[in-house]
Amino acid sequence: MSHQQDPHESLHKPPTRKEMSRRQFLTYTLGGATAFMMGGVALPMVRFAVDPILHKKGEGDFVKVVEAREITDEPQEFNFELKQQDGWYLSTSKLTAWIRKDANGKVYALSPICKHLGCTVGWDSDRNFPDEYHCPCHGAHYTKEGKQLAVASSPLDEYKVMIKDDWVYLGDIIPNTIVK
Amino acid sequence: MAHVDNSKEKEKVVYVGDSRVRKGKGFVAPPDYTAYPGKSEAFIPNFLLKEWMVGVVVLVGFLVLTISEPAPLGYPANPAASVIPMPDWYFLFLYQYLKYPYASGDFVVLGTMGIPGIAFGGLMLAPFLDRGKERRFYKRPIASSLMLLSLAAVVYLTNFAWTHYQHELEARGQLPEHIQREEEAREKREKGLPTSNAIRPEEELAIVDADDPAMEVYKKATCVSCHAVDLKGAGAPSLRGVGDKHDKEAILTIIKEGYNGKMPAVYDAAISAGLTDQDIDQLAEWLAKQKSEQ
Amino acid sequence: MFKNVYDWIDERLDITPIWRDVADHEVPEHVNPAHHFSAFVYCFGGLTFFITVIQILSGMFLTMYYVPDIINAYASVEYLQTQVAFGQIVRGMHHWGASLVIVMMFLHTLRVFFTGSYKAPREMNWVVGMLIFFVMIGLGLTGYLLPWDNKAYFATKVTLEIANSVPVLGPVMKELLQGGSIVGAETLTRFFAIHVFFLPAVLLILLVGHFIMIRRQGISGPL
Repeated sequence: MSHQQDPHESLHKPPTRKEMSRRQFLTYTLGGATAFMMGGVALPMVRFAVDPILHKKGEGDFVKVVEAREITDEPQEFNFELKQQDGWYLSTSKLTAWIRKDANGKVYALSPICKHLGCTVGWDSDRNFPDEYHCPCHGAHYTKEGKQLAVASSPLDEYKVMIKDDWVYLGDIIPNTIVK
Repeated sequence: MAHVDNSKEKEKVVYVGDSRVRKGKGFVAPPDYTAYPGKSEAFIPNFLLKEWMVGVVVLVGFLVLTISEPAPLGYPANPAASVIPMPDWYFLFLYQYLKYPYASGDFVVLGTMGIPGIAFGGLMLAPFLDRGKERRFYKRPIASSLMLLSLAAVVYLTNFAWTHYQHELEARGQLPEHIQREEEAREKREKGLPTSNAIRPEEELAIVDADDPAMEVYKKATCVSCHAVDLKGAGAPSLRGVGDKHDKEAILTIIKEGYNGKMPAVYDAAISAGLTDQDIDQLAEWLAKQKSEQ
Repeated sequence: MFKNVYDWIDERLDITPIWRDVADHEVPEHVNPAHHFSAFVYCFGGLTFFITVIQILSGMFLTMYYVPDIINAYASVEYLQTQVAFGQIVRGMHHWGASLVIVMMFLHTLRVFFTGSYKAPREMNWVVGMLIFFVMIGLGLTGYLLPWDNKAYFATKVTLEIANSVPVLGPVMKELLQGGSIVGAETLTRFFAIHVFFLPAVLLILLVGHFIMIRRQGISGPL
C-alpha cells in the first residue's frame, strides 16, 4: 500500500540500515555450513582423542607388601608387584619401597627413585654417607625421612601406606609429606 | 590453452615488489563458459553453498548411520575357527564369479587374469576405445550396452553371493560373528561379567609365602634344576598355583613316584642331598599352599 | 591483524591468484543442482572427496589407539570400540565411510561414463580416476584385515589365494603381500603399512592430479 502511495520512496533511496548484501548472506551461510560439517566430523574424533584425560583417575589399588612387625626403625628394602590396566593391556610393574617406622611408630615407605634424574638410590650404600640414601649417579643423598641434602631439588617420593590386619599395604606414589 | 604464443608477454614480465617472484596471471586460465547455455556462477560462495547443502544432508545421514549401527567386530582371528569366509561387499561379485567353472580349476588363469583383466583394462582405457565425438549415452550403443551389461552382471553376482551366504549361515545354524559377539556381550553385561574377547596373556601367579623355610628345601631337593628358582619352570612346568591341581598327599606321591612318566621320582635324590622326611613333608605342604587365589 | 599477515605473505609469495582461481572460477548452470535437480549427479565426485577427507581424519585418530600386532590388534580395536568415549562412532565412521566412498566413487564413475565426460580432452583424467578407484579398492582390502578378527583373517586368506592363482608371479606376489609363508604377524604389519602409508600417499598424489586436471580442462559441457 505504501508502495502505491509514494512510488518515489522506494526508488533511488539509499538503504538507511546496513543491509546484508546477497553475497554476504551467501558467505555467512557457506561459513555456517562449513562449520557444521567440520564440527560434525571433527567433534566425535576430538572427544575420542582426548578421552584419556577425561577419565576419572581411580584411587590406585593397595598392594599387600609385608607384615607390620617386620618394620623397624632402620629402612628396609621391599619389592612388590603392581598390576596395572594399561588400556587394553594388563601389565605388572615391579616396584621397590624402603619402609621404616618413625619414633611414633608411624610407618612410611619411600620410593627409591632419585628426584634428581631418576636413578635408583640405596640406603646406607655409600661409605661416605652412612645412614643416608645415596644415589650412585650424581651423588645425591637424602636423610632417613627422604629430605634431600645435595644435588636433588625435592625430597624422595613416598607411597601411600595403609595398615590392615597387621600387614602393610602400599598404594600410589605421592610427593613426600614427612619433610617440607 | 597451453599453446598460446606468449612471446609478447615475455617482454613485460611483472615482478612482485623487488623479489624474483613473477607476478602471476592467475593459476590457470579459467575456461570460458560463454558457449554454454544458461547462467554460470562463482564457485565460492554461490556454487559451493549448493554443493555443501548436499554435503550436509549426506553428513547427517552418515552420522545417523554411524551412531545407530556400530561397526561390526567378530571374535579374534583363529585359524581353527569354522567361519564362512566372506570378503567385503564390493568384492562379492568377483568372489562369486571365481566360483564358476570357467573361472576356476583349469581355467583359473582365465578367471583371475583373463576376464577381469579385459574388463578392468577396458574400463580404464575406455576413452581410447570409445573415441567418437558423440557424448550422449544413447548415441554410443556399444559402450553403453557393455557398461549396462557389466553392471547387471555385477548386481546379479553380488546378490547371488549374498543370498548364498545367507542360506549357508541358515543351513549351519550360524549367526554372523559380529552379531553373535554383540549378543554375547549384552548377556555378559547383564550378568556383570567382563565382555572382552581379547586373548590375554596368562596372568602370572605369585609365589605364596616365598620366605617359608620350605623354599630352602625346594632349592636343596633338586627341584630347582627343572622347575627354576622362581617356580616358573624351566623345561618342567611352572609350580606356581600347583596347589590348585594337587593337594599335599598327591604332591608327596609325585615326589616319591614321579609324574606321568615325565618327572622322575626325586625322593632319593632329595634324601641323599641331606634332607629329612620332615623337610620333604614341609615342602609338600608348602607346595600345596601354592594356590592361585588367596 | 589477519589482513596484515596475509598481505605480508602475499607480497612475498603471491598466493592470491592461487585461491582466487579456485574461488572465482565460474561454474556453469548445467551442473548446478539448484537450477536442474537432475544435476545432483554432478555432486558425487565432490561427495567422494568429502568422505575421503572423513576417512583420512578418522583413520588418523584411530591409529591413536590401534596397534598392528596379532596379539594386541584385536584387543586394541575392542578397547577403542567399547571403552573409549565415541570410539564406536569414530570406528563406525571409518568402517561405513569405507563403503560409502566406494558407493560414491562408483556413482561418480557411472556419471562420467554415461555423460561421456571422459572424451577428449579428458582421457587422462579418466585414467587417473580409475587409478584412484583401484587405490581405494586396495585401501578397502588392506583395511579389512586390520581388526584381526575371524572375518578379516579368512577373507584375507581368500584374497591371497586369488593372488596366488596368477601364473608365474602369483606365488611371489602372495608371499610378498603375506610377508612370509602364513597369514600372520608379518601380514598384519605389511597390510597396516600399505593401508596407512603407501596407498594414502599414492591416493593424495592422484587426487592432486585429478583436481588440477579438472581445473585446467574445466567441466565437460552440457549434453
